[in-house]
Amino acid sequence: MSVKIKERESEVFKIINTTNHNINHYKNYNQKKFKIMTEKIVVANKGLVRAEFAFWVGRYMDKFFDAFENKKILGNKCPKCGDVFVPPRKICGKCNIMIPFDQNWVDLPDTGTLKNYTITYYKINDRASRKVKKPQIIGMVQIDGSNTAIIYRLLDIEPEEVKIEMKVKVVWEDKTKGDPSDIKGFVKI
Amino acid sequence: MGRQVCIASAGFSEHASKRSDVNMPELVSEAIEDCLKKVPSVSVNDIDAFVNGNMPAFEGSNIPELWMTDWMGARNKPLMRITTGGTTGGSVAIGGYYTVTAELPGIDTVLAIAFEQQSQGDTSTGLASVAYGEISVLNTLGISYEQLTQLLSAGAAIGVASYQATNYMRRSKITEEDLARVVVQNRHNAANTWWAHLKMPDLTIADVLETPYISYPLRYGMVCPASDGACAMLFTTEEKAKDLCDIPVYVNGVGSVANESGVLGYNGSGAGQLDTSEQLGAMKSAELAFGQAGISFPRKEIDYAEVYSPFPNQELMWIERLGLFEENTASEMYETGVTALNGELPINCSGGVNSTNAIGASAMERPAVAALQIMGKASNQVPKTVHTAIGHGWGGIINLITMMVMSNKPTRKIK
Repeated sequence: MSVKIKERESEVFKIINTTNHNINHYKNYNQKKFKIMTEKIVVANKGLVRAEFAFWVGRYMDKFFDAFENKKILGNKCPKCGDVFVPPRKICGKCNIMIPFDQNWVDLPDTGTLKNYTITYYKINDRASRKVKKPQIIGMVQIDGSNTAIIYRLLDIEPEEVKIEMKVKVVWEDKTKGDPSDIKGFVKI
Repeated sequence: MGRQVCIASAGFSEHASKRSDVNMPELVSEAIEDCLKKVPSVSVNDIDAFVNGNMPAFEGSNIPELWMTDWMGARNKPLMRITTGGTTGGSVAIGGYYTVTAELPGIDTVLAIAFEQQSQGDTSTGLASVAYGEISVLNTLGISYEQLTQLLSAGAAIGVASYQATNYMRRSKITEEDLARVVVQNRHNAANTWWAHLKMPDLTIADVLETPYISYPLRYGMVCPASDGACAMLFTTEEKAKDLCDIPVYVNGVGSVANESGVLGYNGSGAGQLDTSEQLGAMKSAELAFGQAGISFPRKEIDYAEVYSPFPNQELMWIERLGLFEENTASEMYETGVTALNGELPINCSGGVNSTNAIGASAMERPAVAALQIMGKASNQVPKTVHTAIGHGWGGIINLITMMVMSNKPTRKIK
């Protein structure tokens, strides 16, 4: 006996059908191996389970996001190896030492280098219309003067124009609030 | 079979209901700092391996051990996560002990870390994954899904603890006042522990009995808080521990046993028992650990005990089931002061889980406090000399019961 939620099942099925790829061999694979058990719906929970999770960013990242309000990017520097972290962090894992909260802050420019990217045809935050009209490009950007990368969308660019190692610049929201959404994305310069 | 293992140090982060000033790795690094502060000759670089754990799903943060690798100092070192529900901390401590006793080449010093930052997520949602296993049973009994919240998960874990409480109260003929007395002792002890959460130095029995019921017989004032906090323990070999600290604490026995299978049983498997205060698992776990440690008369040989008691009835129940007191005599011991800080057998002088409950860390804080009591470095240190102590963990009605017996002498029977 298996407990299955009817609605959920149909939805999953719908999503699979909207893709254009051939998934038939996966379906066959699933059905070949195991005996299909009889299904009995014991409970059909049509309500939503609310699971509200968040995470505290801590003092270091809090200062980082606060600086977004003034359209500034802050990093912090390991006093031993000199690596600059964006976002800033308490401990340099390479040297195993603590970076004091009141020292070693570095003001960084809002330009950087694209280190890697992907092109996606789906949105993850909107279940109603997952498929996007225009492919989105999401890139890993190394802010100039730092040793780490942050991930944001690349704006106003066609997929074929994107090149790894190209120079990019932050596009700030007009009204900044001091949170990650203050950065709209990056554009090619 | 395996070499002797010593606890060289233990440390805590500050606990509170909301540690929003730190993220999860920063919280953990606080406990590590406190742990290593007590052994100045050890730095993070001297640690050979790491064991780490918290409750799965409570914070909604996946693979937190990898997020905090750098914050623990575990980069390029062996790291294992253990998660066994409420006893996660106890299992992580046992994991630290096993890692050292295994005599793996190059692995002598192991840091065990347990943590929970409950304010990040929804504990009841985390517990729902447990409750969902029982939905099918409820429906066979004709109880609708809508009533589930009123039955099993009444105030989350308290819904199951109240069954233990009523069973225990009927067995031992104690009153609610006896339960409140346990709470008062714990909260007074917590007031003298720097890292504890609920510090109530002026709490009285009458205060506790004035608070409303959550689930009979447990009142609002009797139950544990939900805390953010972390705990770290340093396990090492006998030789190294002798260099590191004045009083190395030997781990002489461990046990981890489960016997309950839920009130209504996981996935409809049935309860497996009628009296939830019987606790065969705790008895078996204690028997195993005491057997390894060569302890025949726990009541005489144990000087200090830390037991896992989010609810006061459990504290009374555990100290009886673990063999520290005769059956149905525990509440008298609280009345006569035997279990107080200056008593004959002090219990939970840190304030216990009843005062501080960062779930994943709680079961490790028990052996950690017990070890510090033996070293004489505990925050609320008992005045008498502690030679042998126990740290116990409970992990909900479908989980393990962990035990760790520690002493300032090596008495382990298995060589």
